[in-house]
Amino acid sequence: MVIPNLGRSPRPVPVDAELRPEPGSFRDPANRVFHAGDDVLRALDETATAHWRALAGSTFFPPLVAAGKICGTEELPAGVAFPAPSAGSRLPAGSDRPAGSALPNWAAVLRHERIPFISHPYEWSFAMLRDAALLHLEILRAALSAGFTTKDGSAYNLQWRGTEPVFIDVGSFAPLRDGEPWAGYRQFCQTLLYPLMLGAHLGLAFQPWLRAQVDGISPEQMGPLFRGTRRLLPGVLTHVHLHGSVQRRNAATSTSDVRAQLRAAGYTRELAQATVRGMEKLVRRLDHQPPPTHWVDYQRTCGYSGDDRSGKERFVTAALSTADRRRLVLDLGANDGRYARLAARHADYVVAVEQDPAVLDRLYRTLRGEGERRVLPLVMDLADPSPGGGWRAVERASFAARASADTVLALALVHHLAIGRNVPLPEVVSCLVGFVAPGGRLVVEFVHPDDPMAARLLANKPDGIFPDYRRDAFESLLAAHGTVEDRLELPSGTRTLYRVARS
Amino acid sequence: MNHLAYLDAGSGSLIVQAVVGGVAGVAVAAKLYWRRLVSRFRRQPTDQS
Repeated sequence: MVIPNLGRSPRPVPVDAELRPEPGSFRDPANRVFHAGDDVLRALDETATAHWRALAGSTFFPPLVAAGKICGTEELPAGVAFPAPSAGSRLPAGSDRPAGSALPNWAAVLRHERIPFISHPYEWSFAMLRDAALLHLEILRAALSAGFTTKDGSAYNLQWRGTEPVFIDVGSFAPLRDGEPWAGYRQFCQTLLYPLMLGAHLGLAFQPWLRAQVDGISPEQMGPLFRGTRRLLPGVLTHVHLHGSVQRRNAATSTSDVRAQLRAAGYTRELAQATVRGMEKLVRRLDHQPPPTHWVDYQRTCGYSGDDRSGKERFVTAALSTADRRRLVLDLGANDGRYARLAARHADYVVAVEQDPAVLDRLYRTLRGEGERRVLPLVMDLADPSPGGGWRAVERASFAARASADTVLALALVHHLAIGRNVPLPEVVSCLVGFVAPGGRLVVEFVHPDDPMAARLLANKPDGIFPDYRRDAFESLLAAHGTVEDRLELPSGTRTLYRVARS
Repeated sequence: MNHLAYLDAGSGSLIVQAVVGGVAGVAVAAKLYWRRLVSRFRRQPTDQS
């Protein structure tokens, strides 16, 4: 089967590359994801192989792959030597299979399109989570019509190609058994529907909940938040309260008994489809724009002169227009995405990190409207970045473990961390350099203490508590981590830009 | 072995989907509960004997 441009290396079969099991792929023993060099491989047991072949020959799957809604996938030719993952020595510590689970003999191996940067739902904005939920339901609806279903319904089934959501869990598809409801419904509620309800109905940020609980929000946690007239808000009575109460009352009944009872009572595929349509309608109704903060207007109020801005743009452009094309650029403190867009002209992929959900949500909606596929906007506070999560804290990789970029942009950021958050200047520099891949560049702006924006931050802190927040101290820190290749003092005279090659 | 069921779908989560599926779904859920009720009454005499 033909797959769209996978953004992967042209090597035919990565038999020689070291296989690294994906620590986030162990829950479904029928298949497991491995990394080999730049390739993403999925090993399948016999049943999963039969399901995959039926899927590849189905009427719904190839069109969704061609439309970019499901990640590109191909089966490697039979006979490819794919080592069984039983060689314990090849598995990195902390990522091998949970003890006691039998290792299947893989019957087939798939190769997937490489997603340029893996992100987690707690790094997405409201509109991103909503679009991801709608794509999941659209795919499920198409699958049901063709006699397939998905075994689960997690937000982690989705990733991004810029602002385009992609369903990545090809191992989740399986033939539908008529008369059975969706096995992934509870996961869908917990990791997608409930977080969206928190935003749309209560105006609460869902990100802290998803970051704290890998399985999402339970109906029991939702219940107390939706008492009184809030019960009447769309979807709450059924998906939250009734769901929780039926769950409690049926806790002692096995799911296989319930499946048999539902089939006997006449549950049909049409009903399953009606449920999915109802959920799509509900998710479309759930909308929320995080309230604007002062960051929304930052570009207008930040005190840049026109000369400063054009000088800064020229400097950043020069830093990105090097002979070797940049694969990944990290724009830290992206705000309205001005420099992320600029970077996208010179790089394969840009990850724009912004701590303010309102700013990020606005940026996502704008980029999505433009069909941008090379800028991924993410919500994250750099002074409190995503930690590792889930099993052994490696199932969902920390931001630090994922972030290794050819160029890191840290524009108008250092003073917020060093003064606003009291992070010692050497720590700030060391952290930023840590995101730069070997041979990469850091493009960083230092806002002098006498700049109006820095002065505003300093006014909120006692005098003299940041004695090393000086340009010379900053420059010697940069020199300790690499070579300063280029520098530019902006015309206002209170900001300096540096391009540093990491040593 | 049901290979679809690597995940515990949750008994209640399966039933509630019928209710969410509209009028026809509510009828299926009602039938399920009715059958449970009937089978409970049917079983009782044999339990006592």
